[in-house]
Amino acid sequence: MNLSTRVMLNRLTQQCAYKRIVTFSTKTAEHVIENQKEQKKEAPPTTPTPPVNRKPIIPANYRFVYPEFLPDPNVEWRNLVREKLERLDMLDRRKQIDLPEFYVGSVLAVTSSDPHAAGKTSRFVGICINRDRCGLRARFILRNVIDHQGMEVVYELYDPTILKIEVLRLEKRLDDSLFYLRDALPEYSTFDENMEAESLEEGAPVPVNDIKVVLRPRPWLERWERQNLRGVANIDEYLKDKHRLSSAKVQKPWEKYDMMKDYRSSIPEEEQTEIFAEVHTELHALELQRKRNKRKRTFIKPKQLA
Amino acid sequence: MMRSVINQFLGLRLSGNCSVLVTQVRDKGHLSRPRLRNPQWFLRKEITKYNDLMTAENKQFVNEVGTNNFGVPAVIKDSLVKTEAPTANEAVWTPNLRRCGVIARKIGQYPLWLKNGERIRTTLLQIADNHVIKYIPPEEYLPAQVPKVANLHKRGCILVGSETTNPALLTKEYAGIFRNSGVLPKKNLARFIVSPEAQLAPGTPLTVNHFRIGDFVDVRGKTVDHGFQGVVKRHGFKGMPASHGVTKTHRRAGNIGGGGEKGRVWPGTKMPGHMGNRWRIIKGLRVWRINTKYNVMWVQGSSVAGPTGGLVYIYDTILPFRKNKEAPPFPTFYGEPQQDGDDLWYEQLHNFKSESITYENE
Repeated sequence: MNLSTRVMLNRLTQQCAYKRIVTFSTKTAEHVIENQKEQKKEAPPTTPTPPVNRKPIIPANYRFVYPEFLPDPNVEWRNLVREKLERLDMLDRRKQIDLPEFYVGSVLAVTSSDPHAAGKTSRFVGICINRDRCGLRARFILRNVIDHQGMEVVYELYDPTILKIEVLRLEKRLDDSLFYLRDALPEYSTFDENMEAESLEEGAPVPVNDIKVVLRPRPWLERWERQNLRGVANIDEYLKDKHRLSSAKVQKPWEKYDMMKDYRSSIPEEEQTEIFAEVHTELHALELQRKRNKRKRTFIKPKQLA
Repeated sequence: MMRSVINQFLGLRLSGNCSVLVTQVRDKGHLSRPRLRNPQWFLRKEITKYNDLMTAENKQFVNEVGTNNFGVPAVIKDSLVKTEAPTANEAVWTPNLRRCGVIARKIGQYPLWLKNGERIRTTLLQIADNHVIKYIPPEEYLPAQVPKVANLHKRGCILVGSETTNPALLTKEYAGIFRNSGVLPKKNLARFIVSPEAQLAPGTPLTVNHFRIGDFVDVRGKTVDHGFQGVVKRHGFKGMPASHGVTKTHRRAGNIGGGGEKGRVWPGTKMPGHMGNRWRIIKGLRVWRINTKYNVMWVQGSSVAGPTGGLVYIYDTILPFRKNKEAPPFPTFYGEPQQDGDDLWYEQLHNFKSESITYENE
């Protein structure tokens, strides 16, 4: 009698413990741990296998690769239906044209149809100095020096007149925007028009080019000394004490601790995963397609001799 | 109305020859001034929320029932409409007839491209859950506030509501408007002055199919309230220089008139004052694209009055050269809207699903 009740109790505790393990809490509750200890003492532990719900795994770098899929964080402009429709349109356009991964500092070649050009198409090679805006109005600026004349072209990423975007050199720079190239020596923004694409190994991280640009003497287009640029070599040459003082005055070193500012100027992570979960499958399929095309291009069929 | 009559009399002035002379009133600010208090006929919409001694669970239960029944406003729930299928009015359209309008929300703006490569800016308007509440024939329609419509005595009025809401939050008087309509109480109401031929039965749903692609519409909305603003922001004056001896007059208007015979402030002079919060109609906007699933229409331009998420009212345009030439869905679209499938694109518009634009040599 005594023994049988003990066995019964044991079984009961085991069942209870099993039921409790299936809860959704990430922390293990205290009584569960205690129960488990008891189990270990008295009976061999049973290993329950709860069903695993697999969600599509979204790569962590998507918010850098596809920044335009995240809407403007301004609360007054947000609307979920509008954002969804906009994303569908973006995906439709991406199915028509390969819009590759690129960053500020990458060298691109954009072919677009132009009614005034000779062959009705024009190709422009240049370094991407800025990327901004979200959704269908996402755009980027390419800069190059042609015949000793600095040229900049603003392209809209989803403009249907764009025929092809090639990434000739995929890399990042030390700064978020490279507007200071306008005041740098021309050799830093000169790129050969017939430059060939440099290939990166598959799966390799995007390299950061830590080149330091040499600025021309004043006058400048902007007060670069106030912007804490990391990609400029000789800014101290052209600074007087008054410039240093005034730039020290406008610095806001506390802003990096301002969590509210950060919150207002970014989309929360939960929403980001929600947005990317919606478009992930299609984007991933497009990526696979691109990889396949790339392999096709690199493989050259040997010529049959004799 | 009384005030406008008084204003009309004030505008009349007897001159020496006993002929009536009308002073020029350029600014109509006195007509559309933001009201400080509600008019006499105003019905309070929402009940006062008392702190009922409900347990958290009960509160949650009540909220759940509310969201289950009246949740997503964008989806039209025909099961909530009690009337048997509203009888289709089979009148024939003629160019002089006035159709009903719809209530919409401005949900944002983004660019679209034409087939010739031109970029246009469009505003997205969502027509959320619109139903006809009531039709008042011309002989019975005697409004407290008379709208400025020609031949009003020949026109009826359709009351339209949008966005079904939880009736537990509404007053008895407001919910009474919907009593004989068979439609659950709505958040927003609007009246549309229509020809008697264009009357609609209560319970008729109004969708985006009420308009066709390529049509022109007028959109009425309330502009963003900026409050009391100076002359630089309100009228775009330049202000005065920042330096060179200028003191205390950097953003001021400067001179407002000459002396002598004109020695007074002329009516209509641009001065500081309340900016925004006025009803404005933007006329003749083309409908470029229509999505029947979400009831969204893409409309030309980015000048539709009001903030994102603001209410707007959409009418057929009254501009003579952009009026409907062919018959629109009259009195409204009665068929079953296609649920899934591609949007309807205007023929000049570039569809994102088609290939990139190329130009050909002539």
